[in-house]
Amino acid sequence: MLSLALGTMITITSNHWVTAWAGLEINTLAIIPLISKSHHPRAIEAATKYFLTQATASALMLFSSMTNAWSSGQWDITQLTNPPSCLLLTAAIAIKLGLTPFHFWFPEVLQGSSLTTALLLSTAMKFPPTTILLLTSHSLNPTLLSTMAIMSIALGGWMGLNQTQTRKILAFSSISHLGWMTIIITYNPKLTLLTFYLYSLMTTSIFLSMNSTNTLKLSTLMTSWTKAPMLNTTLMLTLLSLAGLPPLTGFLPKWLIIQELTKQEMTTTATIISMLSLLGLFFYLRLTYCSTITLPPNSSNKMKQWSIKKPVNTLTPTL
Amino acid sequence: IPLIYINIILTFTISLLKILIYHSHLISSLLYLKKIILSLFIITTLTTLNTHSLLTNIIPITILIFTTYKTTINLTLLISISNTYNLNYIHNLNLLQY
Repeated sequence: MLSLALGTMITITSNHWVTAWAGLEINTLAIIPLISKSHHPRAIEAATKYFLTQATASALMLFSSMTNAWSSGQWDITQLTNPPSCLLLTAAIAIKLGLTPFHFWFPEVLQGSSLTTALLLSTAMKFPPTTILLLTSHSLNPTLLSTMAIMSIALGGWMGLNQTQTRKILAFSSISHLGWMTIIITYNPKLTLLTFYLYSLMTTSIFLSMNSTNTLKLSTLMTSWTKAPMLNTTLMLTLLSLAGLPPLTGFLPKWLIIQELTKQEMTTTATIISMLSLLGLFFYLRLTYCSTITLPPNSSNKMKQWSIKKPVNTLTPTL
Repeated sequence: IPLIYINIILTFTISLLKILIYHSHLISSLLYLKKIILSLFIITTLTTLNTHSLLTNIIPITILIFTTYKTTINLTLLISISNTYNLNYIHNLNLLQY
């Protein structure tokens, strides 16, 4: 875990390609034993899938930096002059983040890991590649990025509709949020940072609340009101804020992104994005419906379990 | 000489394709991962030796260090997978679909 922090620090504070690559490798190496800590075959399989995808992505990134160095003679991150190396870099970071069409590893890996490591995977591991994107955002290809972003929002909404496992649902929600983040990166990179921070806050609160009640399926969500009733209400609010409903904080990045897109005369993309986020809204609503609005058919008494690491979290969703 | 560069870039692309379109074993994808990084290493050593800049000499060595780290973890994961199954096929990695 310390090496995770070290790896992210290395990539964030890097102006040379090799240091960025080294930090990313350290991150993947540090997370893999965390994923496969429970010696369950599903966890190990998740670890291998994660490892394979991330290794290819980092190799691609190194290759793009190398072609750039060969054509321009310098290894600075902000000076990407070679167009094919820009393309390769976007593809590599898309694989690392989990944008479409490279999203296939993400739900399965989240499913195979425990809840806290899934939290780490979806928030902390996304941070260094987004910083690299931010550093190189002036030289990336906007059409490719926007198409990938729209497809990822669409896919995140569609494939999340049929899921009953909460980790997979959160995986698809993170895919769609990544789409929101990348669509604005060439126009206003500060908004991507904003969306990333807010998204990471909301997902940490959701993961931690789910961790305290240990809900892995929708059916266990229904009986979670017995364990900690206050947590359930805050869970509902955070889910709706992830969906992006107006009075909650999740609406803010979406609003600003749509505003920026209309400033750039991309109103059709803005409407398409907002329509596609309705798909996500459906399964968020289903989660809230299952967790707080309905009561289970049989009455269950208050079970006293998991009295650890809970009260951290009634504050973060109210942000 | 650009011909050498073209050759090594070709090895990179072919091994990349071999990773993406895997045959049946998992070891093969790991092998081609190694090959990718080896080709990258050769490119870096050629560029740093041709341009006689002393600062970029560190780059190939660091790449080698991190690749050794990675390959160890490769192999440990392989061993753990082969502990659960008897074989090494990629079709066995379908536990997480449901």
